Amino acid sequence: MNNALLRADLESLVGEQYVREHPTGYYIYGQQPLLSVAPGSLEELAQAVARLAAEHVAIVPWGGGTQQTWGRPPSRPFAVVLTGRLNRILDYTPDDLTISVEAGMTLGALSAALAANGQMLPLDAPLPDRATIGGLLATAMDGPRRLGYGSARDLLIGIRVVEATGRISKAGGMVVKNVSGFDMMKLYLGSFGTLAIIASANFKLIPQPRSAASILCRAATPEPLWKLVNAIASSQLTPVAVEYLEGIDLADTPFALAVRSEGLAAAVERHVRDVTTFAAQVGVQAEPLRDEAHIRLWEAINDIPQTASVAADELVVRVTCLPAALSSVLAAARTAAQHATVSLQAVARATNGVAYLRVRGSVSQLHEWHTAVLQVAPQTVLLAAPTSLVSEVPAFGTQIANLEVMQRIKQEFDPENLLNPGRFVV
Amino acid sequence: MNRAELIAELERILGPRGVVTNPDALLTYDADGCVMDTCEPHVVTLPTSAEQVAAIVRLAARAGMPIVPRGAGTGLAGGATPMQGGIVISTARMDKILQVDTANGRVLCQPGVINWELSQYLKPFGYQFAPDPSSQKACTIGGNIANNSGGPHCLKYGITASHVLAVQVVLPDGSIIWTGDGSAYAAGYDLTGVITGSEGTIGFVTAAWLRLTRLPEAVRVVLALFPDIAGASTTVSQVIATGLLPAALEIMDRLAIKAVNDMYKLGLPEAAGAALLIEVDGVEDGLDELLNDITAICWRNGAIDVRPARTLAEQNQVWAARKNAFGAMGRLAPTYYLVDTVVPRTKLPQTMDEVGRISREFRLPIANVFHAGDGNLHPIILFDRRDRSQNQRALEAATSVMKVSIDFGGVISGEHGIGVEKQDYMTLLFSTDDLAAMAGLHQSFDPHDLFNPGKVFPKGRGCGELAALRRSGVAWSALKSS
Repeated sequence: MNNALLRADLESLVGEQYVREHPTGYYIYGQQPLLSVAPGSLEELAQAVARLAAEHVAIVPWGGGTQQTWGRPPSRPFAVVLTGRLNRILDYTPDDLTISVEAGMTLGALSAALAANGQMLPLDAPLPDRATIGGLLATAMDGPRRLGYGSARDLLIGIRVVEATGRISKAGGMVVKNVSGFDMMKLYLGSFGTLAIIASANFKLIPQPRSAASILCRAATPEPLWKLVNAIASSQLTPVAVEYLEGIDLADTPFALAVRSEGLAAAVERHVRDVTTFAAQVGVQAEPLRDEAHIRLWEAINDIPQTASVAADELVVRVTCLPAALSSVLAAARTAAQHATVSLQAVARATNGVAYLRVRGSVSQLHEWHTAVLQVAPQTVLLAAPTSLVSEVPAFGTQIANLEVMQRIKQEFDPENLLNPGRFVV
Repeated sequence: MNRAELIAELERILGPRGVVTNPDALLTYDADGCVMDTCEPHVVTLPTSAEQVAAIVRLAARAGMPIVPRGAGTGLAGGATPMQGGIVISTARMDKILQVDTANGRVLCQPGVINWELSQYLKPFGYQFAPDPSSQKACTIGGNIANNSGGPHCLKYGITASHVLAVQVVLPDGSIIWTGDGSAYAAGYDLTGVITGSEGTIGFVTAAWLRLTRLPEAVRVVLALFPDIAGASTTVSQVIATGLLPAALEIMDRLAIKAVNDMYKLGLPEAAGAALLIEVDGVEDGLDELLNDITAICWRNGAIDVRPARTLAEQNQVWAARKNAFGAMGRLAPTYYLVDTVVPRTKLPQTMDEVGRISREFRLPIANVFHAGDGNLHPIILFDRRDRSQNQRALEAATSVMKVSIDFGGVISGEHGIGVEKQDYMTLLFSTDDLAAMAGLHQSFDPHDLFNPGKVFPKGRGCGELAALRRSGVAWSALKSS
């Protein structure tokens, strides 16, 4: 590869100031990119990818960089393609309850634009002012309100991507119901940018609720909180989030459950009343939170799984299991933490079977803990870890089915393995 | 392999009761609800297990015969029509609900289970399967998954894809896989998501873990009559803007009102140009207050009559009229062509004006029943199939509806699928590159085009050809010289 020529070509495509050789600030597990390129339009993105592909340079798509520690580090030298300049709203007619935005727009900027029209996209991702739409889709990151409104999987209605060859293609549309052609959105969502780079996305929106409140339930042990979860799940209440918290400072207690209700004022009050009653029945204190306190609570909860600033001795994982198994999986993770003498923090979508766990300790302690967790939760994904641990543990767990089918898909879309090589399941 | 050998092999796999070869019987499998194109299959099979389906698929590959999946045959896009003959695999004998797992919010069932029967079965547990296509009393779960079906309540509860947690599928190579166990994330690509809505072209679903949805504590329905569609549409926007997404928002136009009035004795004023059905649900608290708000919005927008349905019996009557509206069309004409397109919600009134123009242009009455909350329209073109001129005009009118919908920023199918009905209109919506990406996905599952061939993709553009095209990149040199 002729670096000077490649750089000159990219500069002519996107502008000199948007190409950097050996840039700092885009390290992934200690690896520095060969170069960075920041296209300013869909066409520039496509052409930059085509140019890099012509040189067989591996490409790492980079949005806000808040989740680049997920999975494994790149398996060979790479260029980063920055989406930060692709940050525009492409189409927004509020009464249609849909929006089309470029991939580099942050969730925070999007939420602000929607709030001005009394609407929302309740993805609830960590660090919304940094996390981009493209990155959140590539990782299929969820949030507490997936219980009430679904996750990106349910809210994404259209997509435009740049494939490894530089080809632009789209799927879906700007309507909330659409079976015209294959649902390619599902293919790209959560594929870690290994099949194509997301350039823009269309979403179904939700009107902001008339009223909202939370109930924060604190306990000295986890058991009564799981009883409370069951009581809520078997009632006809419709909370939009039920989050289990363990070892989190904000609750001022070792174990807590945060319940979020949104909707008609009377319906929200009913939730406050009933959850308080259920809590009393299992001997748990319940405190209603409204207005600022309610908003601050959820901002803090949403941020717990963040992976943008991770301590040098910290491991972050996501555990997925059937919802009924969650309490025992978390109990096993707690026991393992005691054995390995590491500190444990957990936030869990209590009725969805998804938990984000953070532990701190030496590499050998973290390794011991991770091995124990895999025993009970084979679907455990590595979100951040000390560099020396990353190559030692299975980043996507020990239960990866249908690998052959996935390899055929990867082969079809990116036969040269240019996009995020080595970082995902395939 | 000759036909006799094929049938002998199939009978060995399935037993004599599992194989249909009688010519009269085969004739009944020559189409689904879309009767524009018909073709008889060579043979119909009725397996009872995934293993039997896999054995049929392996045999079909050896015999070089296509596989065509079939549920209840209620599809309206020809997805179950054996366009090239071949082996139809019917799910009629795979109709068991296998496990209700309320602790994990999931139910395991076979593909031949009827949508409505599943929800009836779940009712005593306090749950439902939320997707509710109008054909729900006949259509099957397998067909719902294949077409990613909708229904009135998907406005609030989401389409079928949001309710399929994992599927067991037989792949074109004869292997049987599970795409997950119903937990929230499976490692790797979302195979459940890509198989749902693929119209039986990349995998044959033999079982599914579906999401259980809690039955709401309380429901309220309002039926409001307006002089025209515009008033009803404005009401829809304003109801949503109050900060609540109703469970359903359905509109019927003048002609549809007349049809259901005749059939269900609703006594609706036939001067009304539009009937708007609004359903809200949730906990009991606040619902009556909300109902009053909605009623007020209706009056403000010029409603001529507003009828809240508080009791279950009243609600059922209103809903029966809506859900059976298509059947009621038989009172107006011998045949109808139900078109399914979607436009952005705010474009509905203009689209309806265009549909009126199309009706006049092609001199055929068009009734309208549609999902107003999500912009999904269903113009029902009334005609007499025995009249060749009317037949032709009906097809042309349908094409015009699709073109108008695309012009307004919409798409050519919201919930019925592409099948054969709309395959040649895919190019109106998608570029060659868009189609090539879809073909790439298809190729990675079914490189020999064994499953439901000749569907979804435009005729004359084979999947292989499209997929090959996408492998050639955007040449840097070409870019440089341009």
